[in-house]
Amino acid sequence: MKNLKIKNIILLLLVTISCSDDFVEVNSRDRNSEDFFNTEAEYQEALVAAYDALQASYLNVMLGEIASDNTLAGGESATDVPGIQEVDDMVHTPINQQLRDIWNNMYAGINRANFILEFQDKTDFTGKNEVLAQARFLRAYYYFELVKWFGDVPLAVDKRIQFGDQFTIDRTPKAEIYAQLELDLMYAADNLPYVQSQTGRITKGAAQALLGKIYLFQDKFDEAADVLEDLIDNGPHDLVADYSTIFENDNENNIESVFEVQYSDLEGAGFGCLQCSEGNVAVGFNGIRNYNGPMFESGFSFNVPVQEIVDEFEAGDVRKDIAILDIVDWAANTGATYVEGYEHTGYYNRKYISRQGDSNIGDANLTNPNNYRSIRFADVLLMAAEALNRGSISDTRAAMYLNRVRTRAMLPDVNFTGTNLTNAIYKERRVELVGEGHHFFDLVRTGRAAQEINGFVSGKHELFPIPSIEIQLAGNRWNQNPGY
Amino acid sequence: MKGILGILITLFGVITISAQTLDVKGTVLDETGMPIPGVNIIVKGTTKGASTDFDGNFTMKDVSVGSVLSFSYIGYVTYEFTVNDNSDINVQLQPDVAQLDEVVVIGYGTQTKKEITGAVSVVSSETIENLKPTRVEQALQGQVAGVNITSTSGSPGSAATISIRGISTNGDSRPLILVDGNVIEDLSVVNPSDIETVNVLKDATAGIYGVRAANGVILITTKGGRKEMPLTIDYTAYGGFQQTTRKIPTLNATEYAILTNEAFAAGGQAIPFTDLSVLGKGVDWQDEVFQDAPIFNHSITLKGGKAKSSYAFSSSFLTQDGIVGGKKANFSRFTKRADYKVDILENFKFNSGIIFTHTNRSVLAESGLGSVLFNALNMAPTFSIRDANGDFTYAEGLGNEVINPLAQIEDSYNKTAVDKISGNAGLSYSFLDNFTVQSNFQFNYSQVKGFVFRPEVFYGSGKVFNIFRNEVAETKNYFRDYTFDGLIKYENSINDMHNIKALIGTSVFKTSGLFTGRRAFDVLGNKVENASVDKASNEENINQALGYNPTFDSRLLSYFARLQYDFKGKYLLSAVVRRDGSTKFGPKNKFGYFPSGSIGWVASDESFLENNSFISFLKFRASYGILGNDRIPDFRYVSLLNGEGTYVFNDELVFGAAAGAVANPEIRWEKQKTLDVGVDLRILNNKVDITADYFKRRTDDLLVVPQVSGLLGIAAPGSGAPVVNAGSVENKGFEFAIGYSDQIGENFKFNIKYNATMIDNEVISVSGADDFLAGGSFGVGQEPPSRMEAGYPIGYFRGYKTDGIFQNQAEVNNYPTINNAVQPGDLRFVDTNGDGVIDEDDKTNLGDPIPDATMGLNISFDYKNIDFGAYAFASIGNEIVRNYERDQQLTNRSSYYLNRWTGDGTSNTFPRATTGATSNSLFSDFFVEDGSFVRLQNVQLGYTFSDKVLNNPKISKFRIYASASNLFTLTEYKGYDPTASTGEAIGGGIDYGFYPNPKTFLLGVNLKF
Repeated sequence: MKNLKIKNIILLLLVTISCSDDFVEVNSRDRNSEDFFNTEAEYQEALVAAYDALQASYLNVMLGEIASDNTLAGGESATDVPGIQEVDDMVHTPINQQLRDIWNNMYAGINRANFILEFQDKTDFTGKNEVLAQARFLRAYYYFELVKWFGDVPLAVDKRIQFGDQFTIDRTPKAEIYAQLELDLMYAADNLPYVQSQTGRITKGAAQALLGKIYLFQDKFDEAADVLEDLIDNGPHDLVADYSTIFENDNENNIESVFEVQYSDLEGAGFGCLQCSEGNVAVGFNGIRNYNGPMFESGFSFNVPVQEIVDEFEAGDVRKDIAILDIVDWAANTGATYVEGYEHTGYYNRKYISRQGDSNIGDANLTNPNNYRSIRFADVLLMAAEALNRGSISDTRAAMYLNRVRTRAMLPDVNFTGTNLTNAIYKERRVELVGEGHHFFDLVRTGRAAQEINGFVSGKHELFPIPSIEIQLAGNRWNQNPGY
Repeated sequence: MKGILGILITLFGVITISAQTLDVKGTVLDETGMPIPGVNIIVKGTTKGASTDFDGNFTMKDVSVGSVLSFSYIGYVTYEFTVNDNSDINVQLQPDVAQLDEVVVIGYGTQTKKEITGAVSVVSSETIENLKPTRVEQALQGQVAGVNITSTSGSPGSAATISIRGISTNGDSRPLILVDGNVIEDLSVVNPSDIETVNVLKDATAGIYGVRAANGVILITTKGGRKEMPLTIDYTAYGGFQQTTRKIPTLNATEYAILTNEAFAAGGQAIPFTDLSVLGKGVDWQDEVFQDAPIFNHSITLKGGKAKSSYAFSSSFLTQDGIVGGKKANFSRFTKRADYKVDILENFKFNSGIIFTHTNRSVLAESGLGSVLFNALNMAPTFSIRDANGDFTYAEGLGNEVINPLAQIEDSYNKTAVDKISGNAGLSYSFLDNFTVQSNFQFNYSQVKGFVFRPEVFYGSGKVFNIFRNEVAETKNYFRDYTFDGLIKYENSINDMHNIKALIGTSVFKTSGLFTGRRAFDVLGNKVENASVDKASNEENINQALGYNPTFDSRLLSYFARLQYDFKGKYLLSAVVRRDGSTKFGPKNKFGYFPSGSIGWVASDESFLENNSFISFLKFRASYGILGNDRIPDFRYVSLLNGEGTYVFNDELVFGAAAGAVANPEIRWEKQKTLDVGVDLRILNNKVDITADYFKRRTDDLLVVPQVSGLLGIAAPGSGAPVVNAGSVENKGFEFAIGYSDQIGENFKFNIKYNATMIDNEVISVSGADDFLAGGSFGVGQEPPSRMEAGYPIGYFRGYKTDGIFQNQAEVNNYPTINNAVQPGDLRFVDTNGDGVIDEDDKTNLGDPIPDATMGLNISFDYKNIDFGAYAFASIGNEIVRNYERDQQLTNRSSYYLNRWTGDGTSNTFPRATTGATSNSLFSDFFVEDGSFVRLQNVQLGYTFSDKVLNNPKISKFRIYASASNLFTLTEYKGYDPTASTGEAIGGGIDYGFYPNPKTFLLGVNLKF
């Protein structure tokens, strides 16, 4: 009897003091990614995150410019960011952190865009097409970057690449990727308005311009001319009359901006996660080393223009002093001081160096608010001109578009045709768009890189190497790009 | 709890008495015939007991004839007495030289030293009292074999990293620390003088703690009173000052200018200093930032006890300024503690304790680019401290990162205040002679308030630390946790031969917290007096940009059982199994089982060794077990939208929803298989005490965050690679400790203790495509120098091996070079693979931060009223990376540059000075140094006033002492302190401009009433 009681009591005690296994079933208060897209708001939230990756493309712009014959790497010393120095000297190898960053950043954006597209059928609401259109534009934008840098890359359409998938996905031929991007951008152009209520949103014009550009990169001149002229004729864009105002922070998202990557000085980041900054990191990197004086702020003296590009400007071209800062002259005139960095040329990329008056919350050099004018209307005009000329469609219209750009630059019209016109367009593209990260890829796609860029080896340097570590991490199945 | 109490009380009434019994009483005396209060008397094999009162008297009712009474008291040999018809029992206890009956806490219970079958080390309160640590960790360094302490910083209040028997995981290798059963992560809140003992469980004995035991367990017991103890008051106070242990020799202004001119000339630039004669020595910036800093501590403890209860109460205050920054690096701690135990009934006991801690800490930028010392080392000596207007000088021309360190100190406002309450309460009920039920509840609650004011400030052109808009941030973080333990214990002795202890129990642990904060801008007048979020503008919630919920909640649910058996105290056996469930893992792997066991053989109890004149005690023991580690972030098994997805529309930040780190639903425990074989030996009449252990710990299924394919989107803000189980690490080692204590004549007692640990760490495998993990950082923009890679010690340094300096152009021409810029005077990198080019593949193992051996030596003696103690620690074979030199054209340099290469044959060690492009700053063994050292950790001389001098019956002890800590360090290392380390498994041992541990001189007093 006594024993029985005690047994019961022990049992009772154990029950009282013990817990069921449910105690360790705790759900995170964060939302589960597989139980999302239940409302329109959730689609919009995911879309914001897909836009976010645009900000990381500052590196593509900066490194693209450095790869060209427009600028040198610069920086503090020969060992300051070796990956950038190597690309400048065309001695880059498959081990290059910055190339890997580009690869990874673009795939981060692609996965975020595909996250939305994977769940595109889950919930219906009015205006969903617009959300999907933006997502497809973003995916196209990121893929186009990858194709420009690396050629054939693994393509994922409307599904994320998830843990484990990396071992089965192969490199997709560039042509197939382009075909997908064309579909995406046509869809985006069809489903987006020319004018969005919020600045920074992707527009129909942006989609048309990017589509035209992608056609041009494939030498599809008819298609390029069609879509670009449609934009020129029907879109809301025009050239800003005064070139000197285009790149200032009080003139962002102006009428010339067809597509602009938005940055802010309100939230920074550290060097451990440059892509986390809401600011334009390239601007701080491009800035004048240890600068003290009016108008500008200091930076890391990367991406310094060479004499050759300065000399490329024709006499009387108003763009020269806007695009290029002659720091020696400037210092002499204003009393500003600065320190010469590595490969000092005396010039800075004035379009994208830091200006005074920003809050730069966080690390000052990493939180510059300067938006990147990704596709300017001037670019659209010059692309249209090139397509019309090289596609032998209409040199008249080509010259007309070219001269619109020249007129704004206070330069006389040209009346070339044929190859002379082609060369004039090429030259105009180079000076109009200097410092904006386009020139290297223009040289490559038009087959002029080897003759222009020191150290450029034909058949090799048209593409950058796929980071060897990424080949390994995907199961060692991909071939490296030729020559590496 | 009330319910349980009711049941227990009811239960008490149920038990009835049988067998022939009588009431006994008596007195317990010490060897000198003085009564001993508080002696524990237990009827063997039962839980029935009593204790002596203030006069050494005890009574016990209903004791069976023939049962054995065991009289035990700390420091005395336990005495056993078989009850006969006589009810008067008078006992005299003998002092225990060997202290084999000392009770050691082993987790959910105690054992005597003799019974222990695991590798357990004890640090006593005397050691802690002698060392006067401001933090508990300092008392462990060198005292316990197998325990290594590295400092993340020497600034007041900063953390130390404890590693037990090497680094067994690439992740978090901190041991589990329990203070009175309560989980404590940050030991800075514990007042060291509250500590009675620190026990370190180093092997599978820790298995009772299951999933958290793989890195070892440290059990800290705080001081309590004893029954029948008169009120005693302990007051200790010390005060003194701290100063830096060393200054790094740097160039004075003239030396600096000569070298800088030479470098500019070599780089083809105009020389910056044309008149060297006016420069003199210039400013020694280290002299400017280092100062003598005061330290004060007061602590009072009251202890006592009545027949059925005991109590302790203590209060302490510590304040310590920094040797850099003084008050701006101050740490102050205020603690109050109360402890109470009572026997509500003879077999129903209650204990409770509560600790309140308040700490205040101010910090300066430490370690790395931007730290005060980094600036002091790199600031040019030619700059004045202030300019003609009395403002701090701008460090113009010294690069973007080096600024005037004094300006920096003045503009730093960074404070943290912690309020923490920790408590415990326990009930224990004994029944049916052999059973005890226990339940314990422990909790911690803390509130951490942070204040940061970043004034608008200009340090010079392009300085990355310039602030263009002032900002004030106030954070408030809340942490709570509780642990509930429920145990049933069984204890029996059958025929006085088979001693059985068994235990089953459950433990529940939950920790949760919340992070909050606000920041605002444009503080009025840019002044700290006005710096409060409420008074500033553009207030925002600091959490708004986070993709994740700023809370956490993680839990552990455990069941465990332990069986301890010994035969006549000679053959010992212990087995443990624990089942743990953790919220860190997904449904598939939530629960795991952790078995461990140990055996022991007290050979000296065998007839062939009994009464051996040489060997007093000999025990062999062995243990083996599987322990776990779950120290990974929460919810890594499920894909959550806790990444950062912020973009800008209409010029405003817009916050979206983005996936966080890649999830891995398959993650499971990190498993450690640990083996220990040891021997405990006492010889020469217990005067010499030797312990030796061999151990082997292999950690499998390491929880690593490997490199994974970028295709997965891991580079996105707030995302990251998944946690996976991959790789193995093995630590093998040998520990040895020897102590010798004796007395010469009446007045001279001495004690010498020495311990040594040798650990061999090897990474067996790391899975992942490239088979290594990288960590740490070196220089600016260089790849991480530390690696975890199969076949090497964890966290080894990988870089170029050098082979002297190129002496002339012919050598440059005849040897592979890293690039075309290499000139005579540059470091010669070794072509380790012999392929004729110097490239990535030539990087090789340059050493590792894990010491081959560590050892501690304690010497103490008492002569009459004088006591002396000295304690030294040595670490041998650990490498350290010198990474505090900015190496800009105009920054200052270490004095070793005076011995630089200046022409053929001038130096084969230190490269030339030049502003031109060189590869000399690439990570190579030029920057890796031998970090071996011997440190005199503490010397102390005390004097205790004799009763005659005092002539005050109320004062039972009055001692004054002088002590010096960290007096000197013998090392070849060029930096401040060879113990500098972030404590990371991969990336430790890199000196980023370490805040040195100070040298401290103290005068103190101990008073006992």
